[in-house]
Parts: sequence; structure tokens; C-alpha cells
Amino acid sequence: MRVDPFYVSNLSGSLDKTQQSLQNLTAELSSGVSVNSLSDNPVSAGQNVVLLNQIQQDDSFTQSSNLVTGQLNVADSVLGSVVTQLTQAISLATSANNGTMNTNNVQSVGNQISGILSEVQTLANSNYQGQYIFAGTQTSTIPFTTSNSNPPQTTYAGDQGVNYLSAPNGQKIQLNVPGSQVFMGPGTKSVFGALNALVADYSSGTVNTTQAATDTAALNTALNYVSQQRVTIDNSITQVTAAADAVTNVGTQLTSAQNNLMQADFSQVSTHLSLSETQQTALEDVIAQLGAATNSLFSKLPG
Amino acid sequence: MATISNAFTTISGALEANQSALNIIANNVANANTVGYTRENATFQENDPLTINGVSYGQGASQSGPTSVRDRVLSERLDQQQQLASASGTRSASLDTVQALFTPDSGSSTSGAGDIGSDITSFFNSFSKLEGTPTDNSLRQNVLSTASTLAGDISNAASSLNAQRANLDQEASGITSQVNSLTASIAQLNQQIMSTSPNGDAGTLEDQRQTDLSQLSQLVGINQITTEKNGISITTTSGAELVSGSTSYQMTSGSVSGVTHFYVGTEDVTSGLASGGGELGGYLTARDVDIPNVMNSLDQLAYSVSTQVNTLNNAGTDLNGNSGTVVVAGTSTDTNSHDIFAQPVANQVAGSALNMSVVMTDPDMVATAAFGAGTGDNSNAVAIANLQSSAIVADPTTGTKETPSNFYSSFVSALGSTITEAKTENTAQTASVTQLQTQSDSLSGVSLDDEASAMTTMERSYQAATQVFTMLNTLMASTINLGQSTTVT
Repeated sequence: MRVDPFYVSNLSGSLDKTQQSLQNLTAELSSGVSVNSLSDNPVSAGQNVVLLNQIQQDDSFTQSSNLVTGQLNVADSVLGSVVTQLTQAISLATSANNGTMNTNNVQSVGNQISGILSEVQTLANSNYQGQYIFAGTQTSTIPFTTSNSNPPQTTYAGDQGVNYLSAPNGQKIQLNVPGSQVFMGPGTKSVFGALNALVADYSSGTVNTTQAATDTAALNTALNYVSQQRVTIDNSITQVTAAADAVTNVGTQLTSAQNNLMQADFSQVSTHLSLSETQQTALEDVIAQLGAATNSLFSKLPG
Repeated sequence: MATISNAFTTISGALEANQSALNIIANNVANANTVGYTRENATFQENDPLTINGVSYGQGASQSGPTSVRDRVLSERLDQQQQLASASGTRSASLDTVQALFTPDSGSSTSGAGDIGSDITSFFNSFSKLEGTPTDNSLRQNVLSTASTLAGDISNAASSLNAQRANLDQEASGITSQVNSLTASIAQLNQQIMSTSPNGDAGTLEDQRQTDLSQLSQLVGINQITTEKNGISITTTSGAELVSGSTSYQMTSGSVSGVTHFYVGTEDVTSGLASGGGELGGYLTARDVDIPNVMNSLDQLAYSVSTQVNTLNNAGTDLNGNSGTVVVAGTSTDTNSHDIFAQPVANQVAGSALNMSVVMTDPDMVATAAFGAGTGDNSNAVAIANLQSSAIVADPTTGTKETPSNFYSSFVSALGSTITEAKTENTAQTASVTQLQTQSDSLSGVSLDDEASAMTTMERSYQAATQVFTMLNTLMASTINLGQSTTVT
């Protein structure tokens, strides 16, 4: 049977292919990435988009959680100070209510409670990075102001808005408690209501024991209510920390999955590279051998 | 005497025949590397016998001319496969430039540059980050800068696609003149072949025609029909006539809404050519199918993201306590617009990717708060961030809606698969072309070893004939001298 007389030149086509393969493998080794273009592995390239999306969302949540934790910690420590102040106010009021104090002392208690009132108001007007933390969503307006009337009146300029942070798993974490809820709770639960009433009770120096006792009890109720609201903040801090930890764990897994998907398997690539090199050398030898002029019948004919 | 002179004639005929066979071998060796050359064989034919005195004497042999060793069916098969292989080769090369625009982000810090998938995530994440501190100016600024990156990368990709499409268009229209010169040449060769050898192989002329046909097959998908007197008619695969006998029909091109269309006569053959094969088929498939598909997806993504984000941002409250209204492009300008992206024309998805840009300049206008809520509210930021996980982008073919990232993911998978498919197809077709070429070469290619051996054979025959001639000469001299050796030497 007749064979293709150009078989040696056809071998150079195979040489091109091994060279192409050497080039690809070298590129994989140097970049460390196995999917350098979409057509290398379309499915991996698609999955990669989704995985990176999740990883980046998680990263972003971790950053947000750091900012939010700072804000929540400030709110928590403010409420801690408020509790201390209110405890002190209750103990002052209790001593004033036992009927043993003279007018001056009662007025002095009234002044001290008034001082506490303004301290609590300052605390309630605390801000984090210029934004009032107990103003609901009206964070650019100072939330609490107290009039100079007798009894003094505290008004709330904020709203009832509550912000939530969405964790990547869909969990919603409460970020703030509106000031009205903390400091101006319903009925006897209002901190400012109770403090203002006590300031009025002691302003004259004469104590209406019954009224003062009722107002003191109201302040006590309000104090408990503040503590309850503080629990909400504390819970949020725990939730944010837990969510951030969970996200970090998931992120590690996702990153490892993404690495598996996209990164080159060095041992495999090196083996292929070595095989391709051997093949190329073999091909070159075959071409040199077969292409030699002495292989032609013409070279054997008498001169 | 008669028989001796007859032997002279016979042997000198043999010398001639051997010489002409050696001539054919020399021609084969000379053309061993000529593209399209088909090896030729000498054809020896026994001469009619001569009857002398009732006895029949053989008259030797003559060489009746070279015969090209070709298989027309095989050549045609090779041409057909060549058309498919060059179509898929051209298409996959074109798609390679397309996929360079969508290099996968390997996840390292630098590889994300220009990656639309990462841009989408970064943009929506900029709203997630605002959830914690909705009034933070640097985070608001981040919304605008990630929006610019997203819009920039999408519109850059779209303009690169347009540029690639224009390049393909230009390459495609450049093929017309090559096709025309080849069909003209084939028509001329047809005429020569039909007049010189209507019934047999036309040798060199057929080689030339076959070479032209191979070249034409690289360029465009064709059908060949053998006609009477050894002619060949050529039509495009969709049936438009390019060559009929000695007449060729010009392929012309003209611009229809900015895109080159191809005509034979007055018939628009563009879509037939696209599916027909050849380089032109590859260019046209990439130009009219592949790139528009990619563009549609990008348009859909840009349209959905722009309109949805704008709608929500207009519906919320910004840092100054203001809300906006969506402005539809082309209508009266609303100074209160809170569009982040240039708002696409309603329901006009095409062109959205190219025109995607950020129109908002003041980060305070990012509406993080719900309508009517205080500026510290984050619920609108949450709503916009949630678009990331909402099915808002419709698949251009099925209409099924997906989240922006999933949409982009499906898009890159689909594009990658198309390219892989074209490449695999091309590998298979090229292998088939190589196989057919090997078959064809093993039949028609000049083997120098064969020629060396044939030459040796012919040389030996020639030597033998000269010996016979010498012997006859001596014999003739003896006969003339009738034993007297001096009369004739």
C-alpha cells in the first residue's frame, strides 16, 4: 500500500501540539491558577463567580460587624452609666423620703437628683461618630431636651425607628433601641418622667412622703426597664460576634473550596509537564532521524 | 529484411517511450513540493501488430501520455471537511478574543480587576456596609466608587465587544474579493478544461482548479457539481450560484444598518453563508450569533441592575432627608432625581451595557433610609443590598429571573461552554482534515522513493533497448554485406 510521502512534515504538526501543551502547563505552574480562561473549565468558572460572591459578602459582613460592635459597645456602656446614676438617685430619694431630713438637706437632694437628671440626659444624648445613638433613625437631631419649667419637662425629638443588620445567613440583628423606649417608657417606666417628678418633689424642701415614695418607686421601675433594654443591646453584641465567627468559619471553607476549584494541582501539572517534555524530545529525534537525506532511495543510486 | 527493419522500428519506438516516461518522472520529481500537484504516471500501450507474409509481428509499445493519479470524490470530501474546520477554527479564534474580556477572577487580591462578577458583589456590599452606619460619609462615597467600577467595567466590555464585532465585520467583507478572484479563475479553468479535454483528465489544469477549490473551501462553504465536458459548477451551501461552466458570478457586499451583508446577484445570502462553513461562516457566526448573545446578557444585567437600584434609591430618603423620583431617559428632566446609574430607556434593554454609567456625584444622595424615615434609618440600604440575593435579572432566552451574581455565573459558564464546544469541534474536524489529507497525499503525492525506483526501471529498459538496437545494427550490417565484412561496417 502506498503511504503518505509527506509523513515527516506531518510530524511537525504533532510537535506544534506538544509545544502548545508545554506552554499551557508552564503558564499554569507560573500563575498557580488552573482556570486561566473561561473555556479551560466553564463549569468551574461559573461556580467560581458564585463562591467569590459569597466569600466577598462574608468579608463585607465581617467588616460591618466590627463597626457595629463598636457602636453597640458604646450604647451598652452608656446604659451602664445610666444604671449607676439611677441607682444613686434612688438611694438619694430613699434617704430623703424617710422624713428625717431638714429642708436644706431635702433641697440638696433635689439639686443632686436634678444633677443626675442632666447627667442622664447627657448620656441619653450620646453619639457615636457624630450620630445620636438613642434617637431612633433621627440620628442627626439631638434627641432629649428638658425645659426649665417646674416640674421640668423632657421631650424626645427622635423616632421609634429601629435598624437591623442582615447577616449573610439571613439573620437580622437589632442595632439600636429608640431613646423613647429606653428613657421614656410607658406609664411608670419613664426615666425622665420619674426623675423630673422627684426634682419637683424635693424642690420646695418639704416632702410629700406619699408622692415622693410613689415617684421613687416609679424610678425603680424605670431603672429595671432600662436594664431590660440594655439586655437587648447585650444580646445584639453577642449575636454580632457569633454571626461574625460563623461567617469567618464559613469563609474559610468557601475559600478552600474556591482554591480547589481554581488553583493548579502542582504535582499533577509537573508530571504532565515532564511527560510532555519527553514526548517533545522523542518527536524531535524521530523527525531528525526520518528526515535525514540518507533515508531517500535517491541517495543510494549510483552517482 | 522486412522483419529486421520492423524490429528497428519497434525498438526505436521503445527508446522513445522510455524517454518520455523518464520525462514524466523528471516532472514528478521537479514538482515533488509543488502545492496541489498530482503525481503523474506514464501509460504504456501495446502497438497494433503488423502482418508480414501471413505472420503477425508485435509492433512494440508507445507511451500514450501522462495520467494524473487523483480521486475526485476524496478531493471533494477533503474540501467539505476543510470548510467545516476553517469555520470552527475561525469561530473559536474569534471567541478567544471575546473570552479575554471575562478572565476568571482567581480570588487573589489583584486578579479581581476588571472582573464584572466581583464588581457586582462589591457594589451591593457597599450597601451592606452602610447597614451598620448608614450616615458614614466614606461608606457612602464607597457606594459611588464601586458603582463607577461596575458601570465602567460593563460598558468597557460592551464597547470592546462592539469593536471586536466591527473587526470581524471587516475581516468578513475582505473575504469577498478573494472569493471573487478564485471563482473567476475556476470559471476560466473550466473553459480551458472543457475545450481541451472534455472526456479525460486535464492534468495540470485540473490540479490548478483543485487548488483553487481548496482555497475557496477555506474561505466559504460551497457545493461542487460536476457537469458535462469535465466542468464544475459551484454554488454556496445555501444554493446561490457562484460558478456555472465558464461563467462566474460576483459576490458583493453592502452595509445594512452598519453591518456588512453579502449578495450574489441581488440575493442576500448572509444567513446562508453564516451557517455554510469556511472562514466567512466562522466570522459571520461569531459576528451575528455569538457576540450578540454575549451582548444581550450584558445588556440585561446592566438594565436590571440600573433600573432596580435607581427605583429603590429614588424611593428612599437621602442624608439630607430628601427623596427622589425615577427619571425616564428622554422625558423632562427632574432635578430631584436620585438615580445612581444613568436610567435606561424604559423596556429598551439593548444598549444598556454600553450606556451604563454613574450619574450621581453627591454621596449624600445615596438613600439609605426608608421614605419618610430619619436619616439614620438603614432600611433602604438593606433593601438595595438585598437586591443582590433577589432574582432581578431575566435570562435573555428563557426569561427566568436570577440574582445578579448567579446570572453572571450562568453567563460565564455558557460562554465558556460555547468556546469549549467550538474548540472541540475544531479539533475533531482538523483531525478529520488531516486524515483525509493523508489519504489524498498517499494517493496523489509524489514519493521520491517511488520515483527513484521508477527511474531505475526506465533507465534499465532504455539500456536494454539500446543494446537490442546495437545488436540489430550489427545484424543488419552482416545482412547487407552478405558475408563480405568490408562493404558496410
